[in-house]
Amino acid sequence: MTALAARGIRKSFGRRRVLAGLDLEVAAGEMVAVAGENGTGKTTLLRILAGDLRPDAGSVAIRGRPGYCPQTVVLDEALTVDQNVRYFQAAYRIGRTGRAEELIERLGYAGCRDQRAGTLSGGTRQKLSLTLALMHDPPVLLLDEPYQGFDWQTYLAFWEMAGELRGRGTATVVISHLVFEQERFDRICHLRDGRIEEEVVSHAPAA
Amino acid sequence: MRQQLDTAVRLSLAGQVRNRFAWILLVAFVPVWYLLIGSMIAHHGIGFRLRATGATLAVDGHNLTLITAGLSSITLITGFVVFAAVRRTRAFDRRLVLSGYRPAALIAAKTGGALVQAVAIGAYATIIMLFFWRPAGVWGVAVTFMLAAATYAALGLLLGVLVRGDLEGFFLIIMISLLDTFLENPVDNPLANKPILEFFPSYGSTQFAAAGAFHHQVLASMAAVSLGWTAAFALLGLIVLRLRMPRPASVTAPALTGPEEGVASPSSSAVVSVSPAGRDGVPLG
Repeated sequence: MTALAARGIRKSFGRRRVLAGLDLEVAAGEMVAVAGENGTGKTTLLRILAGDLRPDAGSVAIRGRPGYCPQTVVLDEALTVDQNVRYFQAAYRIGRTGRAEELIERLGYAGCRDQRAGTLSGGTRQKLSLTLALMHDPPVLLLDEPYQGFDWQTYLAFWEMAGELRGRGTATVVISHLVFEQERFDRICHLRDGRIEEEVVSHAPAA
Repeated sequence: MRQQLDTAVRLSLAGQVRNRFAWILLVAFVPVWYLLIGSMIAHHGIGFRLRATGATLAVDGHNLTLITAGLSSITLITGFVVFAAVRRTRAFDRRLVLSGYRPAALIAAKTGGALVQAVAIGAYATIIMLFFWRPAGVWGVAVTFMLAAATYAALGLLLGVLVRGDLEGFFLIIMISLLDTFLENPVDNPLANKPILEFFPSYGSTQFAAAGAFHHQVLASMAAVSLGWTAAFALLGLIVLRLRMPRPASVTAPALTGPEEGVASPSSSAVVSVSPAGRDGVPLG
């Protein structure tokens, strides 16, 4: 069951070609890492998948409204954690914020709910950013360096939640310039010269 | 749409009122500015040309300067407040739109919020002015301040979506506001009664204020000129804002999917697809 299909994606910035006819397909319940050196176009690819950037050529098809966690933490700094959640509750048109509350608890920052986002630590801002991407139970997750600034406990909590989502059939694309713990992924796609040059199938069994 | 609009209005105003620097400017800068200007300009008569009627009014230069000082402070503050708000939420708005927020709801909330602020700041500057001078036509001054604040709120919006850096925007707002309000006052500028000043943003509001405050006259055409500037700035700003927002494909029924090879059954989900040409559906699988 394909949840995300990108075909023939090309993108250049001026004369600099970043993506050169890239293809990527991710099945429901699959966890895929897109790895590559700095400047190879990983974030550009994710922005195109999320609809934040138009490709010069190619097409993207995604099942449902993806959950997108951009590389730079994007929040309304003047609003509290709860107010940021309320904004996204309206964006996703969901009636209740039960899932967001659960994520806030599990990521361990329930004590900050009335705090303004601009006053949160870097790690807590990243947790809130991740919560906003996950709170509508998306069928496809697009995460750009999602665990930057996490402490070890939160890092483990993140992978526990990622495992549960995989079990529920969520297709996940994780961008990372360095991929540790390869066994956590079903596939690792290396981005080189604007294409996914090779795919290394990890030894871990798929969920 | 209704829920999104309500949320955007409520939360954008909640974010705005936390702009502490704007509060400091309002509480400290406005009265201090009146005090400074008022203490420096003597009460002597001066001719102010109402271009709409062709008449030249004999007005008190001190009092006229209080009006232009008020205009100067509120145009600076309103321009800054709206510019800062647009810049602060630019990336956040993009993320909201990518997550399904309707751009129209965000844009309507921003426009409404800017108008509310313009009216509130205009009313506040009028009330503070009453401590220094009580014009006979105080309503004329109040309307003027609201009109000018609305014009600079729209300018703040336009610069917020146009310029690259914050510093450039702040500099432009300060320069435009100072030049504009300074040049309209014949006390500061001997050329203030020249026709060229008709082409400045605060021309209409200054004319409206002088006629109302000193002559009990309503120059509707001057209010229209001021509103014209507001509409032009706002329209340009909102068009650029809309064009700069991402255009994620809407979630639609998966017409091109079905029980084909490798394609999921679209029982509870839908397909979002993007392509450079538009929003053509692409079959999954």
